[in-house]
Formats: sequence, structure tokens, C-alpha cells
Amino acid sequence: MKRRDSIKTMFLGSLGASITLKSCITSEDKLILDQVWQYNYGRTHEELKWDYKVLTGKFFSDTELKTIDRIANIILPPNENGNIKDAGVVELFEIIAKDFSTPAHNEYGEKVLRRGLVVFDEICNTKFGLKLLECSDNQIKSVFDEIAFNDSKEENLQEAIRLFAVYRGMVLTGYFTSEIGINDLDYKGNTPNVWDGVPANVLKDYSVSYDEEWISRCVDQTKRNDLADWDEEGNLLT
Amino acid sequence: MEILKSKKEYDVIVVGSGAGGGMATKILSEAGVKVALVESGPYFDPANPDQQTQLKWPWESPRRGAGTNRAFGDFHMSYGDWSLDGEPYSSVEGTDFKWWRSRMLGGRTNHWGRISLRFGPKDFKSKDYDGLGENWPISYDDLKPYYDRLDKLVGVFGTKENMFNEPDGFFLPPPKPRLHELFYIKGARKSNVKVMPSRLSILTKRINNERGICFYCGQCDRSCSVYGDFSSSSCLVIPSLKGGMVDLYVNSMVNEVITDKNGRATGVSFINKENGKDYKIKGKIVVLAASACATARILLNSKSKAHPNGLGNSSNLIGKYLHDTTGAGRGVFIPELTNRKIYNEDGVGGMHVYSPWWLDSKKLDFPRGYHIEVSGGMSLPQYGIGWNPNEFNKFFGLRTGGYGDSLRNDVKKYYGSTVYLSGRGEAIPLKENYCEIDPNTKDKYGIPVLKFRYKWSDNEYKQAKHMQDTFEELAYNMGGIPLGNKPTKKDNYGISVPGEIIHEVGTTRMGNDPKESVVNKYERLHDVDNVYVVDAAPFVSQADKNPTWTIMALSMRTSEHIISELKKQNI
Repeated sequence: MKRRDSIKTMFLGSLGASITLKSCITSEDKLILDQVWQYNYGRTHEELKWDYKVLTGKFFSDTELKTIDRIANIILPPNENGNIKDAGVVELFEIIAKDFSTPAHNEYGEKVLRRGLVVFDEICNTKFGLKLLECSDNQIKSVFDEIAFNDSKEENLQEAIRLFAVYRGMVLTGYFTSEIGINDLDYKGNTPNVWDGVPANVLKDYSVSYDEEWISRCVDQTKRNDLADWDEEGNLLT
Repeated sequence: MEILKSKKEYDVIVVGSGAGGGMATKILSEAGVKVALVESGPYFDPANPDQQTQLKWPWESPRRGAGTNRAFGDFHMSYGDWSLDGEPYSSVEGTDFKWWRSRMLGGRTNHWGRISLRFGPKDFKSKDYDGLGENWPISYDDLKPYYDRLDKLVGVFGTKENMFNEPDGFFLPPPKPRLHELFYIKGARKSNVKVMPSRLSILTKRINNERGICFYCGQCDRSCSVYGDFSSSSCLVIPSLKGGMVDLYVNSMVNEVITDKNGRATGVSFINKENGKDYKIKGKIVVLAASACATARILLNSKSKAHPNGLGNSSNLIGKYLHDTTGAGRGVFIPELTNRKIYNEDGVGGMHVYSPWWLDSKKLDFPRGYHIEVSGGMSLPQYGIGWNPNEFNKFFGLRTGGYGDSLRNDVKKYYGSTVYLSGRGEAIPLKENYCEIDPNTKDKYGIPVLKFRYKWSDNEYKQAKHMQDTFEELAYNMGGIPLGNKPTKKDNYGISVPGEIIHEVGTTRMGNDPKESVVNKYERLHDVDNVYVVDAAPFVSQADKNPTWTIMALSMRTSEHIISELKKQNI
């Protein structure tokens, strides 16, 4: 029996008004899902509508997107483990700009992300008479050298320093939440497995160990499938 | 206004499908009682691929899991959080309360921390110890048989510790500690803070053939697709539906309990969220389990000639004595845990070790106690990872910030090197902390909404101060460095906003005296003999234990009381 079939639709007496459940996915949802096919992660109807809005609108101009791409590649240059393009970092900027647009986010896209591009362009213009996109890598790096470190006391650069920190955060979070970035990090979880404690070679590396009394009461993973049964005192028998 | 009525009469109408309502539905329907279960949110089954978030990767969300739609991130399994579109609430000026609402089958049990602690003997009689608050009209011994059955029915891991106020139960074996938890154990022992295996309702071992066993993905907050953790949806309601005694009404927002001219309940009215129409269903008994504040709201909105200020409110205490668990926390950086060898340490969805309250409050400047929860480790990356890739450089005298390939290594270097300590404590229930109906505001369904008035007292601030002192000492004794500045008096010691710990209880408190309480020891309204409350509203006090296990033990006890009353034809 399919799970959804196990739920009856209620009829209220002779009125016959069907009022309980429908399938969780409506036809409108299907239409949206078809268009945002790559993202299928258990959304409610309202969430799907919001995702559709976020995924279909356009916030940054093509020039702005190119500028973000350039910045991102200097903040985190490509190496053999991964790059900005494969991590979808520029796309994430575009999505977050639209997604963080509720009053709670105080126009993050406009006031923070786009403002960053304006400020970085201004500094490039003051220094070199060029927009960021027209600068050489070395020219851009010379700008970043002034705004990328948190210890700079230069008063007229404080806004640029704050905005650069956001760009750096977005680039790194975008990279390390992508498939390629999580592989680069070498994260091993999010998959069915059986936890049986810290590997012995890791324990050896640290000045910590399991005490016998403690782990003697922990789960014996060879018996995890045996039905639990207790005596009257609550001692596990199986 | 058109109101659609059903001719069918149920034995019992249960309002809300979380811990209390799910348990009532199971116990009642299995005894052959005809139940209508009315839930304000949609159907939810964690095994339904259309709804599942378990084992999704961050890149499967366009925003990489950020908390735009769900406060705790895209994959968190709660439909609704501290705010719901079109369903506002407010607080009296100068006070603050945050009200979490999960609108879905199973309610908040789909996302909760699974920390399953029995209240101890002291927790039911705290007034005997410190003269504050009120005693429960029942004792630990009254509830013990239900806790015992609950352990076996639902499953909880833990260890027998023989501590007076942390009663043992029928435990499944706990998982072995993770690496950072071994650091915590070391630090706690050095600080003379009791530390022991945690007690979570997650199946480390098979308890029946209907539910799967934990496969250690660490994602109980996403609700388990093999039912390896406890959610009311997967473990109580869905199995109950198969028995044929339960009619489930979803997306049905109850606004009132309907009464006859004598003031007895005859059913409930609700608004179908899909078509906006009003409905009435009839029942011999109404069991409210909508969550402490939602239940208070329904009762206060159920005004009639017999109950002019709300149903069961002759004491004027509905909504009063609202209280939440206190919370404070501190992050700890452990330099030894930099550049870790990587392996899968997801473990169960929560801590493997914790500290129960270990001191005697009589020797301290605040009453009651708190427990300490531990989190950290090499967890699944989500939006936010790497944001300040090298902020801990400051502890090594290195520069922070910058750009370039080195940032990659910084993120890897510090990954899994922090631990977070959280204190969860008991607050003293106060009559001055309450929720009430805001007569000037209605939600999008036309139902008058709640207004809150909640302020911590000195007792809670002193407790939070003690937590912060303890965290700092623990941090150093673990070989770590406490992060950020230590919260001081001017930051209220970092104490949570009331409601933030999502343990709100007390709005229809239990007692023997109808002038001093709303429900009796069987959770029945003093004023009406066929209306019961089985969520956390009847709690006289919320110990530093999490409320779910006690909600369910009480709901089990009340449900069996209802069955016996029905058999005796008393109702």
C-alpha cells in the first residue's frame, strides 16, 4: 500500500465536502518542480513558490556577474581540487541576492552585495582609473591587499573592509557547500553507516581514551538487530 | 456565514498531533475508541520522498541550506518557526516572547532534539525544597509506570546511573562518545561536573519490526525516514491510522471548543485552510493537545454564556504561569583539534554525552538547576561554513582575513575544532508571565491572536551567570579557549529570550484546588468534565529536563483515565 493511499479522504456527513488531505504535491507544484528540476529537497507548496521566484528572476546584470566571478576567482583561485565555476559560487550570489530580500534581510542584495561591487569599482577607479573588471589581476590584488585584512585601521576603507569580508564569506561558503568543495574538505558523512567510536589511530594521536567502564555499557553493534528485551529492573538482556 | 456540520459523532476529538495528541490518539484508538484527530498543518511522513530532507546535500538547496524559509535552515523538519505568515502575535511593551509553531502532522516532534529525560521525584515537589512555585498534585511514583512503558514503546538510549533525581528507565545502549566529547568528559571530570551518556529517543537497537534502526547520519532534526528516531507522526499517528479507528483531519485550524447550554463540550469548530470554510464536528470528549499556548488560545477563545471568560477559566488562570526553559551557551575552540584526520563522526542526531544537574541549589544563590548539552565536531557543511575562515588565527598570533589559496587550508585546518556548550535550566513559574487574547488583532483565518507578557526574574539571571562561569571553567579544563567575550550582567549573561528554547509550558496548570489551577491531576478541566489537555499546558513546573517524555507519560495516563471513564459511562 502506498503511504498516501493509507489516508482516507474525509467526507462530512451528507454535505460531502472533502476536507482532508490531498497529495502533498499539487499540479502547480509539479509545474514548478519541472522548471527547477535540479532542486528536489522536500519543499512545501509555499516554499516551492518562493524558490521559483528566486530561481527565475534576474538581479545582477551580466557585467556584475562577470565582476563577481573575477573577484571570486581571486579570493579562492582554482586548483586541482576545485574551482569557483564548478562550485556554482556566482550562481549562489545571484540566488542569495534575491532570496535575502525580505524585510528581515534588509535588502541584502542591494545594500550589501551590489553595494560591494560599487565600492570595489570605486577603489579601482581611484587607484587606476579603471573598473575592477578592466584591471589586471595584480591591480585587483593590490586593492584587496588594502581591504582584505581585518586589522586595517584605515578609516575611509572600513566600509570596503566590511563588504570584502562578506564577499570572502560568500565565496568560501559557496565553495565548501558545493559537491566539489565538500570533496575538497574530505567530509565523510551524510551516508548510512554504523558508528562504533573514534578510530583507534585517531585516539592514539590525542591524550584522550575511552575508559572501559564507560564503553562496556555502549552499544554492541553486532547485536543492534536483536530485539531489545529487559528484565524487571531495566537491565538489557539482548 | 455558512457552517458545515457533520452528523457523525466521535467518542473523542483530539486537537493537535504532536507528542501529547499523537500518544492520546494511539492509546484511545487501540482501545476501540472512535477518534477524530484534528491537525492544523498538512500530512507529513518522513518516509515520503516528496517531503524528505534527510541525507540531502547542501547543494540540493538553491540557497545551500540557509535559513530564509526555515529558521534553522532549509533541511530542518519544521513547517513553521517563530513566525508564520498571516498568524501574528505580540508582546507587552518591554517584554519579549518568541512562539515556535510547527504546523504539520507530528508537530514539533519532527524536529526536536530527542533528549528524553524523566522528571525526577524532586521535580514534582520543588516547593517542598525551596518554597517557590507550586508542587504538582502527582508524584514521580504516579508517573513511573507510564515512563517505564513509554521507554519500551518508543525507545530511548541511556545508562543506569542510580541518581535520585535522574531516574533510570528501560534503556537501549548508548553510542560511544565522539572525539570532542572525550575532551568534554576530561574537562568535566577536572571541574567535578558529573558527566554521563546522554538519553535520547533514538533506536541504537531494534525495538520492533515496524521501525528501522539508527544509521548514524546525525540528522534527527530532519526526521528519520526509517523511523529510527521518535516523531509522533512516524511512530504514533501513522501506525494508529492503520487501525481504522481514527479519522484524520489535516489543514484544519481549530478555533473553538463548542459547548451546550450547560457548558459541556459537544465538539469543536475549525477552519479548513484549503477552502477557508468553517466546519463543526461532534464528540463526546475533547482532548486538547495543540501546544501550551495554542491550547490556551483555543480555550480563551471559546466563550459562551456558561463560560464568559473562556472555557474552563473560572480561576482566571488560563495563560498564566507560562514558562520556558532557560538557555545560555558558549563556544569553545580547542587548539589540539586543528588539522584533524577526517572520518565520519556524524553519530546520532545529538550529543552522545551530557551533564545532568550536579549541584545542590541550597548552597547556591539561585534555586533549581540546569543540565549541560555538548555539540561540535566534523558536521555536514551548510550555508555559513568558512564564513570567517581563519578567525582563530588570532589565538596563534597570526593575521586574520586575507584572500587566496591559503583560505582553503584555513577552512580545513579549523574544521571540527570547536565545541559548543549549552545550559538548559529550570525557571520559576510566575503568575505575571502569561499569554492572553489580544482583542484587537486577528490572524488570517479571523481568529483572535495571542499577546504575551514574559520577563525573567533574578532567579533565572543568576542561574545564567552560573552557567557562564561553569562554561568558562569547562572550556579551559577541556584544553580549549572560550570564544567571544564572556556575557556579563549588561548582556543578561547571554540568557535566551523566553520561548527560544521551545519548551513553553504551564498555561493550564494542574492542581487539586480549582481556584489555583485549571486542570485536575488527570488533566481534565475543573470546570468541564469532558475536556482534557494533554500537551505541556498542564505542567506545574518545567524541570531542567526536556518536556516531551513527561508530556507523553501524562498523555498515556490521561488517555487510560478517559477509557476507564468511558467504560464506566461517567462521560
